[in-house]
Amino acid sequence: MVHRESLSPLWLLMATVVVVSGFSDMDSGPGAGGSTTQANGDRFKIEGRAIVPGLKTQDWVSTARVLVEGEEYVGFLRTDGSFAVNDVPTGSYVVEVVTPTYRFEPVRVDITSKGKMRARLVNYIKTSEVIRQPYPLQIRASGPHSYFMKRETWGWTDFLMNPMVMMMVLPLLIIVLLPKVVNTNDPEMRKEMEQSMNMLNPNPELPDVSEIMTKLFSGSKGSSKAGSSSSSKGSRPAIKRR
Amino acid sequence: MGKLILLLLNLIFLCDIVAAVFEDQVGKFDWRQQYVGKVRFSHFDTHMQLSKKVLIATESNVFAALNTRTGDLFWRHVDKTGLEGNIDAVLQHGQDAVLVVGNGRVLRSWDISVGGLNWEIVLDSGSFQSACLVGQQGTVKHAAVLKKSVISFHYLTNGHLKWIENLPESETVNYQAVYSSGNGQVYAMGVVPHSHIAIVAYSMDDGEIINQISVDAPWLSNIPASCAVIGQGILTCVDATTASLYTLDLHQQLQMTQVPLQSLGLEVDPGFHPYLVSHQPSPARQPLSEFLLQLGPDHHLLLQLNDGQIVTLRDFKPALLVSFATTGEKTVAAVMSPKNKTACSINLFSSETGRRLLDTTLIFTVDPNGGKPERLHVQAFLKKDDSVGYRVMVQTEDHALIFIQQPGRVMWTREEALSDVVTMEMVDLPLTGTQAELEGEFGKKAAIQDGLMSMVVKRLSSQLIMLQAWIAHLWKLFYDARKPRSQVKNDVTIENLSRDEFNLQKMMVMVTASGKLFGIDSKTGSILWKHYLDNIPPNAAFKLIVQRTTAHFPHPPQCTLLIKDKDSGLATLHVFNPIFGRKSHVTPPALSRPILQSLLLPLIDQDYAKVLLLVDDQYKVSAFPSTKNVLQQLQETAASIFFYLVDSSQGRLSGYRLRTDLSTEQVWEVVIPNEVQKIVSVKGKRPNEHVHSQGRVMGDRSVLYKYLNPNLLAVVTESTDLHQERSFIGILLIDGVTGRIIHEAVQRKARGPVHVVHSENWVVYEYWSTKSRRNEFSVIELYEGMELYNSTVFSSLDRPNAPHVLQQSYIFPASISTMEATLTEKGITSRHLLIGLPSGGILSLPKMFLDPRRPEIVSEQSREENLIPYAPELIIRTEWFINYNQTVSRVRGIYTAPSGLESTCMVVAYGLDIYQTRVYPSKQFDVLKDDYDYMLISSVLFALFFATMISKRLAEVKLLNRAWR
Repeated sequence: MVHRESLSPLWLLMATVVVVSGFSDMDSGPGAGGSTTQANGDRFKIEGRAIVPGLKTQDWVSTARVLVEGEEYVGFLRTDGSFAVNDVPTGSYVVEVVTPTYRFEPVRVDITSKGKMRARLVNYIKTSEVIRQPYPLQIRASGPHSYFMKRETWGWTDFLMNPMVMMMVLPLLIIVLLPKVVNTNDPEMRKEMEQSMNMLNPNPELPDVSEIMTKLFSGSKGSSKAGSSSSSKGSRPAIKRR
Repeated sequence: MGKLILLLLNLIFLCDIVAAVFEDQVGKFDWRQQYVGKVRFSHFDTHMQLSKKVLIATESNVFAALNTRTGDLFWRHVDKTGLEGNIDAVLQHGQDAVLVVGNGRVLRSWDISVGGLNWEIVLDSGSFQSACLVGQQGTVKHAAVLKKSVISFHYLTNGHLKWIENLPESETVNYQAVYSSGNGQVYAMGVVPHSHIAIVAYSMDDGEIINQISVDAPWLSNIPASCAVIGQGILTCVDATTASLYTLDLHQQLQMTQVPLQSLGLEVDPGFHPYLVSHQPSPARQPLSEFLLQLGPDHHLLLQLNDGQIVTLRDFKPALLVSFATTGEKTVAAVMSPKNKTACSINLFSSETGRRLLDTTLIFTVDPNGGKPERLHVQAFLKKDDSVGYRVMVQTEDHALIFIQQPGRVMWTREEALSDVVTMEMVDLPLTGTQAELEGEFGKKAAIQDGLMSMVVKRLSSQLIMLQAWIAHLWKLFYDARKPRSQVKNDVTIENLSRDEFNLQKMMVMVTASGKLFGIDSKTGSILWKHYLDNIPPNAAFKLIVQRTTAHFPHPPQCTLLIKDKDSGLATLHVFNPIFGRKSHVTPPALSRPILQSLLLPLIDQDYAKVLLLVDDQYKVSAFPSTKNVLQQLQETAASIFFYLVDSSQGRLSGYRLRTDLSTEQVWEVVIPNEVQKIVSVKGKRPNEHVHSQGRVMGDRSVLYKYLNPNLLAVVTESTDLHQERSFIGILLIDGVTGRIIHEAVQRKARGPVHVVHSENWVVYEYWSTKSRRNEFSVIELYEGMELYNSTVFSSLDRPNAPHVLQQSYIFPASISTMEATLTEKGITSRHLLIGLPSGGILSLPKMFLDPRRPEIVSEQSREENLIPYAPELIIRTEWFINYNQTVSRVRGIYTAPSGLESTCMVVAYGLDIYQTRVYPSKQFDVLKDDYDYMLISSVLFALFFATMISKRLAEVKLLNRAWR
């Protein structure tokens, strides 16, 4: 929670900055300086390898594609999981391995006019931030896509752990059980209790809610038990209280 | 801290609102169909006996392997669209398939069993001409690629270059073909049109030129179109003007031998370009000495070249299509000849003798609503008794693939035309017979004609019919319940189509670029009807209009397809019934002049068909249907009919109005300077869109009224200067009636492609920010303010106050392919944006994330309004993908339609694939959810019932006890 709190103002602040200054100038990284697609014929190759841990490459490469900046350049995966996207001019691109089942993090690749390559984490907000990634790219799947919502299954534990139910059940238990616990004690204890109750409740004429509840429940308890065997046990506290 | 908790709760609540797919809903109401496109090359996998694969390379730049038993895809690789992904040639060798892609730019080798890439290399640029596999001593290890000025030689194992040579005199000679017969030499053949043939023989070991000859051939202009290499390396050509065959031995001769067709007793059909087909079963060996010659549209010949002598083995006439196929040592020719009007027969002939093989007849039924057969792909195999069996894949003009087994059983059909859907509509299904009967009972005519008694009888009989239908339905439910779910067949045919109770099943009318129309059942995805329109111009634009829905029984529903030739502007109309696909009896007007604009008016004629107005290039208006009634109505309402025209080449936007004599008058004109920016798209609102609430309730209980102008147009422009510092996109909101510019926004340092959605009182658009190199969304919302000027009716002509404009922008962490908004019956349900991504996912993004009133600083009021605090980046959650792992390749359009349930919106995404599903933007609030726990609710009810019974009894006992006390 503390972590959240420290984060959110910053988050909002960033938002305001961006809006007010109309996406203020964020200089591109040094490597991406010449991001204009100059009409010189130099074309480069983005290389890398994609790995799905614990899975043979044959099982997933046929559904995979490498997309550079949307669908502007397309590459395919070799049977060993490596890939190369050819004919990419100088610039800065987001490279993504796309499969329907596994999730891969995108990587930004900068290509200088001389063909020098650099890979870094994608950050759309601070576009100039450079957190280096290995090049040739090593993209590891971060697990399968979670497309589905979980059905709300109904279980007793869920029901009982519900805060509303807890709030209902716990006082109920206390109300029902407390008189019984107190009753078994000796009269001295009871006197003490009554005293403390009087302390809490200065006006004895006003009916106490807890008292009413206790009466009600102990009474009903008694009646229900009356139907079965031990009616005397249940009715005793009621008599005593009177 | 308290605020933060509230914020967190708010977030949780938001996440909760966004409906996603549950795992058990997979395939329940959604389906996907995958396509590959029009077939260009096909190879049956022959390296393994009993292989079930056929490799297909298509004009949509897709390379795929199909299962020959079922027609399903084993795997599919979708390359870039356009020339860069164009597949020039496919060479299959054993387990590998080598593809030349992008006009000879890339050489790729695919492992066909896994579907993975073996290797990929980039070739030097140069226009691709031809490629072939090169073998030596029976083994194939190389591939040769011929380009305009260069020939290169590659290893098949890794693609590495063995040698590369410049072609001699490539400035004058057009090298067009490459040939190898496994004798260690590679021949590059070129032609100087109407002069001579140049042939260069290279040694395959080092690329040294062994031999170079030049032979006079003044009649020849194109080698692949009229020549083929036959037998022991004899180049054979056919020429129509001299009506002769020419042969040339590549190894020694310096002169072509002319064989007049007359000497063989043959004649070319007038105006037909004759064509030669040779067959080389293995690249390591010589081609067969038999070859096919086509002399007319239905005239083929099997010829043999033997020691310079040409012998006719068999004359096939009439024969529509002929194709060679090899299995083992045997080569056969499959010939398709017309049998009668609806069927063709296919027979096998031995290639060596030309004799017909016994028991090889196969009947192919031609679909009367489909195209003619265009190509034969034959899969031959050896049977146990060593005779040749075969299956055929027939490709038709309408891009369909039909796989047939002997004696004519269709194993599967693939409608590849559906890979290129241009436009679509969803039409409600008609009522069933019984429902229609009931409707008819209350018809006006019936009530007047019949007396009271007959009405009672009618009523009773219809009730009886309904009871009968209900019992039948119950019986079916009972009967189906006993069978496992997978076996329950839902046979949907045109006959038993009927509307379901929530109108969730509809007819999808799809128009494809090839000119084939489809009617697809939205529930199952089965094709219920198809209709091929031949004579569609190649670059036609289509517009599909529903003129009459199914609501007007007994009038049949009516759709009109406007087909416009983009070059000439001339248009034709095709009127049809969308439920059965049949052409309507209504004859559409002949349109003699180019059509500029078409608009569907809310007016209806006496047959309940909406009126379609067509504006031609002289600004004259014609109506369809154009009965007297319609013309009269038009004259009455002419004063309120306005339309606009867009001329993007001139950058002109103009508004017109209709006069009572059906001529037009220009009302306004906006010129956008063509040199600076060009109009990319103009978007109005959808006519069937309903807006439920006129305003938004603010935190202080006041109402902010929406500016709901139905005539508003969103015009998107892009700058002609594409430099990243100077490029911009602009958006103009123009009133289509008055031409008043409501709002203008310019996004600097941005470029297209721009995707726009315009609905209710908002416009959402997406563009590429060149400065930050990311995709950004921007939303514009228009509000009237705290008071509504005229709350009863909206008029563009009487709206003095300019609306308040709110705008906000966001970062979107992916590029997008297409965008559409959900649509529901009454517009009560919150809206979502459906975004098609290049990865194939369809993202359902709640519109509340794109709300310009999202506050930067959270206040009490904004929280009251449930506004999400502003965050610059929109997030993509995989739970929001409505199509889970059923990716849709190259999404081109998303179609949304309301259903009978307010909570439900029908969605069809089309591109290379078609995906249909339903979305519930505010969850299913009007029906019980499908995970509704009937068991729990009934058990709780029973438990409560018994508890009251018991407690009643106990209370009685207690009262009794008390009374006794």
